[in-house]
Amino acid sequence: MKKYLYMFIATLALASVAWATESQIWGEMRIQNILGYGQEESLKLGVLFTFLQSKYFAWIFLAVLIGVPTVFFVHYKLVGPKVFPHSHKKHYAFNLFHRTVHQIAAISFLVLVPTGFIIVFGDFFGGGTLVRMAKNLHGIFTIPFAIVVIPMALMWLKEALFNFEDVKWFMILGGYLSKEKQIINATQFNAGQKMWYWVAILGGITMILSGAMMFFLDFKMEMLHNLTGLSQIDLLRVAAIVHNVMGFAVVALFITHVYMSMFAIKGAVNSIITGYVEEEEVKFLHNAWYKKLKEKGKF
Amino acid sequence: MMEYARMKFYCDESRCIECDGCSIACAEAHELPVGISRRKVITINEGIPGKEFSTSVACMHCTDAPCEQVCPVDCFYIREDGIVLHDKEKCIGCGYCLYACPFGAPQFPRDGAFGAKGAMDKCTMCAGGPLETNSEKERHLYGQNRIAEGKVPLCAAMCSTKALLVGDAQSVSNIFRARVAARGKGANAPYGWDKAYKNQ
Ligand code: HEM
Ligand code: SF4
Ligand code: SF4
Repeated sequence: MKKYLYMFIATLALASVAWATESQIWGEMRIQNILGYGQEESLKLGVLFTFLQSKYFAWIFLAVLIGVPTVFFVHYKLVGPKVFPHSHKKHYAFNLFHRTVHQIAAISFLVLVPTGFIIVFGDFFGGGTLVRMAKNLHGIFTIPFAIVVIPMALMWLKEALFNFEDVKWFMILGGYLSKEKQIINATQFNAGQKMWYWVAILGGITMILSGAMMFFLDFKMEMLHNLTGLSQIDLLRVAAIVHNVMGFAVVALFITHVYMSMFAIKGAVNSIITGYVEEEEVKFLHNAWYKKLKEKGKF
Repeated sequence: MMEYARMKFYCDESRCIECDGCSIACAEAHELPVGISRRKVITINEGIPGKEFSTSVACMHCTDAPCEQVCPVDCFYIREDGIVLHDKEKCIGCGYCLYACPFGAPQFPRDGAFGAKGAMDKCTMCAGGPLETNSEKERHLYGQNRIAEGKVPLCAAMCSTKALLVGDAQSVSNIFRARVAARGKGANAPYGWDKAYKNQ
């Protein structure tokens, strides 16, 4: 009996030693992690992160949070929404799979973005329980988004490839600067939607990966060190910088996406709930798609 | 008005024998959870003759502390004597202070929900935290508050070779200079002083 007890204690002791040496941050790697700090030949990521986080990140997020909605508020007042009749014929464009995947992504973003802001402005919210809860929700809602991001990428990839028409769309900003309903020769997705697709998919994956690195913190991936030549702590600094910078773009386009579907084109949001898009809407805003659907005898 | 002296750590690299006593004394004194060690002895340039040395690192309580600058919930406060402390009840365990720190000092017990990072833990220079001094809760969250009792931080108090010292900047540099003069070599500032105290 005593023998087993000793063995048990020995195992525990070994386990704690193993932990100490296993850690990529505070174990033996601590030396590598800290000797590089501020060295001439290094990228000075510690100094850079401190500078950006203390002086810029929160202000840029604030500028995006106020600036983007302000632009759209002015647009709504000056140009106003595009209203298409909703009684006409409809086309069933999004099947249950499309809608489920998109809805899961939408709910994830509706949690990720506000909780992200609560963390960024954590001092405004006084820290503690509320902000800690936001951080936990931010981590939890990464999971549903991570599950749907690949299916979403694949199901809309073909529609999201840029073509020559998209250049024209950008030149007139999709006709959104005029009150008149112009015929826009876009396919199922216009250039703006395609841009959002790429930011949401590639940016989203970047956010998942950089977020996961910060969440796990003390993970071991030899490959990443070999590939980048960076120490564990420098990898984490890169993750934090990337998460914030990519966050600016994701937030700016997310707000745009919400404005377009909820306000600028009245009722467009319904298409992802019911699956049906309005004929008039397709005819004016996605004329190339409209013609193709007509040929196939839709509507 | 009383002038507060600025408190500093000094680890004499010619004296440190890598016994790890400081690190263990600290963990025991503050009853730290398993896996957290506020102080660590490291050996730099291991195996390179003439260049190898050991030193004890923990939070250095930096001038213009980078951790304090990046914290999104602004939970750090710097005492008049320069000791850098933080409020664990405000901290959300985001890890930013670790990314900013030149010494890898902040650590995170995995006690948050779903194994998320819990409140950050680091060396307090044995000065406790923002709670009522020497209260049970302060002791539980931050460890002993020896400074309030007029005692020296435990790591330095128990260092058998007196390599690890802590004290006001003036006394510490006097000792440093006296030792360098006696040895006639090693006039370089000890590891970390440039980053933590900007060599002041
Ligand atoms: C696709 C969207 C996003 C995903 C998948 C994502 C994922 C994550 C994950 C997994 C973490 C680590 C959480 C942890 O350490 O417990 C994290 C951290 C963080 N995220 Fe995001 N995020 C996203 C968008 C955003 C946005 C839009 C913002 C800002 C408005 C933001 C701000 C932050 C901040 C400040 C942190 C660091 C604090 C922390 O680790 O808790 N994130 N993110
Ligand atoms: S050593 Fe690290 S944790 Fe301590 S004051 Fe300096 S930056 Fe902050
Ligand atoms: S882990 Fe805590 S102390 Fe460190 S920066 Fe984040 S909130 Fe501040």
